[in-house]
Amino acid sequence: MESSSKLSTGNEQLGDQVSGASSRRNRMGEGTPSVEEIRPQSHNRGMSKSDLPSKSRAPYKPEKWMLPEKEGSDLNQLNLAIVGHVDSGKSTLSGRLLHLLGRISQKQMHKYEKEAKIQGKGSFAYAWALDESPEERERGITMTVGVAYFDTKNYHVVVLDSPGHKDFIPNMISGATQADAAILVIDASIGSFEAGVDPTKGQTREHAQLIRSFGVDQLIVAINKMDVVEYSKERYDTIKQKLGAFLRLCGFKDLSVLWIPLSAMENQNLVSASSDARLRSWYQGPHLLDAIDSLQPPTRDISKPVVMPVCDVVKSQSTGQVSAIGKLASGALRSGSKVLVMPSGDVGTVRSLERDSRPCTVARAGDNVSVVLHGVEETNIMSGDVLCHPEFPVPTAKHVELKVLVLDGSAPIVIGSQLEFHVHHAKEAARVVKIISLLDPKTGKASKKTPRCLVAKQSAILEVVLNGSVCAEEYSNCKALGRVSLRSLGRTVAVGVITRLIED
Amino acid sequence: MVPVDSDDLWFAYNLIAPGDSVMAVTVRKVLREAASGGRDAERVKLKLEIKVEAVDYDKVGTVLRIRGKNVLENEHVKIGAFHTLEIELQRPFVLRKGVWDSLALDVLHQASDPGASADLAVVLMQEGLAHILLVGRSMTTTRARIETSIPRKHGPAIAGYDSALNKFFENVLQAFLKHIDFSVVRCAVIASPGFTKDQFHRHLLLEAERRQLRPIIENKSRIILVHTSSGYKHSLREVLDAPNVMNMIKDTKAAQEVRALKDFFDMLSNDPDRACYGPKHVEVAHERLAIQTLLITDDLFRNADVETRKKYVNLVESVKGSGGTAHIFSSMHISGEQLAQLTGIAAVLRFPLPDLEDIEM
Repeated sequence: MESSSKLSTGNEQLGDQVSGASSRRNRMGEGTPSVEEIRPQSHNRGMSKSDLPSKSRAPYKPEKWMLPEKEGSDLNQLNLAIVGHVDSGKSTLSGRLLHLLGRISQKQMHKYEKEAKIQGKGSFAYAWALDESPEERERGITMTVGVAYFDTKNYHVVVLDSPGHKDFIPNMISGATQADAAILVIDASIGSFEAGVDPTKGQTREHAQLIRSFGVDQLIVAINKMDVVEYSKERYDTIKQKLGAFLRLCGFKDLSVLWIPLSAMENQNLVSASSDARLRSWYQGPHLLDAIDSLQPPTRDISKPVVMPVCDVVKSQSTGQVSAIGKLASGALRSGSKVLVMPSGDVGTVRSLERDSRPCTVARAGDNVSVVLHGVEETNIMSGDVLCHPEFPVPTAKHVELKVLVLDGSAPIVIGSQLEFHVHHAKEAARVVKIISLLDPKTGKASKKTPRCLVAKQSAILEVVLNGSVCAEEYSNCKALGRVSLRSLGRTVAVGVITRLIED
Repeated sequence: MVPVDSDDLWFAYNLIAPGDSVMAVTVRKVLREAASGGRDAERVKLKLEIKVEAVDYDKVGTVLRIRGKNVLENEHVKIGAFHTLEIELQRPFVLRKGVWDSLALDVLHQASDPGASADLAVVLMQEGLAHILLVGRSMTTTRARIETSIPRKHGPAIAGYDSALNKFFENVLQAFLKHIDFSVVRCAVIASPGFTKDQFHRHLLLEAERRQLRPIIENKSRIILVHTSSGYKHSLREVLDAPNVMNMIKDTKAAQEVRALKDFFDMLSNDPDRACYGPKHVEVAHERLAIQTLLITDDLFRNADVETRKKYVNLVESVKGSGGTAHIFSSMHISGEQLAQLTGIAAVLRFPLPDLEDIEM
């Protein structure tokens, strides 16, 4: 061992927060902090509490341009997450829809087909419309959320095609946090549905629970690959009955769940009624596109100050401009609007807005846009940050009180349990420091103080401390910044909301 | 004794307690009368023996600081004067204890065991975040932490993704070369969820060839890949639990601790009345002769007063005596850290004790 290397201990429990990290992103830190640290500057959490404008100022008043134009003039935007167990056909379904609705040209489609065939992945041709990276195509899986757009009669739909693979659930959570509604894709083939709903190994349940915990209450269950089971009504009924029971337990109301049998591969029941006699003989319900159109428009918080959790940050190679991509949780933006980036504290202005690769003048709550920023350093903004109104900053916290529901199959949670904490697009390592009380599932009141541990199906209030601070809010103040999920050992162990931000 | 490596300093930290006396060569500022009549401060090297009042382990500087009162007659230092001894690597010292209890003797045996180094280097990563950890005999240290913002891969951003990822891998590679010494570690593990580990491994080997990086080329076979659920430090336990890693380190303290803690949590999950934690509950369980496996951190011994330490030593001996096992966790390994968070003491019981639930913890 070199004599010059400094040894440090593993006791960096509450964050390897070496304050000497004025090292710029991607540069090796010179000098000798005890643990060599290389991190992006925004994590220095430049804003101290005294820098923030106090919240007790004049209440927010939305400006006229923010309010929607006259009724019925514009299509509502609908953020639709596509979720489900791995290989259920989510990306293929999304690709098919895009193609059928004219979003992918015939020429482009042929290109995908040809290239996919060369790689021996002929059946993935449609999925390639969403899975654009070489890594994803080579492995035949989605790794990050693929975003695409199409229009229906009533909506501008933003498709958030999520990964189904267990390892990429943190990315799926990023998609789920933006969703207004979701399509849960099921593989109807014998054995596959069963594997998907397996409580420990399948992702169907976990996805349904996660999507529900993010406030989605409208669900379309697309029972895919019906061709493989010969469009059997029995198979459809079995799946509907078994999964239906589970969805009810998750909190989905029967009336808010639509069941659509289809086949993405054979283009049956997607954008028009099925041409297959076997399916037509027993199914007369809506096709997928009609089901999407029948979804209720979500309510939008336009009259609150702007809050946009940043899903992604892109720097244009050509212009050097920095763009933040995400869905506005509340408020509105237009060119020239001043925005505050939290937690770094940088203030910038909106240079332009883009939706679906087209410029737009105003972005309102619910819109999924790319915000080209002026005056914000690349190192001061990253995924997990939040854009907000300079006079109404969103708080950051490192110590929070949560109300959670422990999911099925979770290992017991005790004081000291180390978990991964997810809130909007931010994630941090976290530790449980206090279990305050168990909650009675019926009354919601505290039933037992300081239990020894928490097990599956229990609801409780607990406190966690994070390794680094994140932008977060009490759920009652801002839903988008108050929903959390806790994960450990590759599973989501609990979902819930923030009840209190604790100052240390 | 002469501490040879940092593990030894840790053992020494666990051995030296208030009331013991330590003798070592040290430096003291002594005031002298100069010929001119004024006072002069001179740094004199002398051998002092002090009665220990406080011990402090300096993580950063790898030094043990022992503060106490001088007990040896000395021309420069009065008896009773306060002094702080600094014990560093390769500096011999003598430790006198009133009583060498079984635990202290245990620690002494472990420290003098010339057994092969258990050292394991781990690159624990996920996209945009990497930790380089060194799992030693009695402690796990974090050598580096690298965090980078990597954009998602869709649309026009794809080019940006590749360059950001490569920059990230390059930084991890640099840290790898700097902190991982194959002459000390048995092997290096690259662990991650998804495919990040495979991508980094590929990058590592390609760059090693391209730049002729001997340490990597010569030790290619000692680099293994393990799947974990995240790149956060707490996922280290998954690395230690992986079959291909376990084979190499199964007799080491770190591996045993991971297994023991896992068994405890499994019991808490499957048959909660047969698992308990917290000093009160463990004490009650012990009174009922119910303890099969005792888990306790070295923290509890070190920070305790003489009475409490005696109590814990007796507990350990008693459990062992009745055919059970006792694991003393190093608070410097990840399992020990976690156990410390959970009060530092826990037990797996021979038979269920459901009424523990009603006893205050």
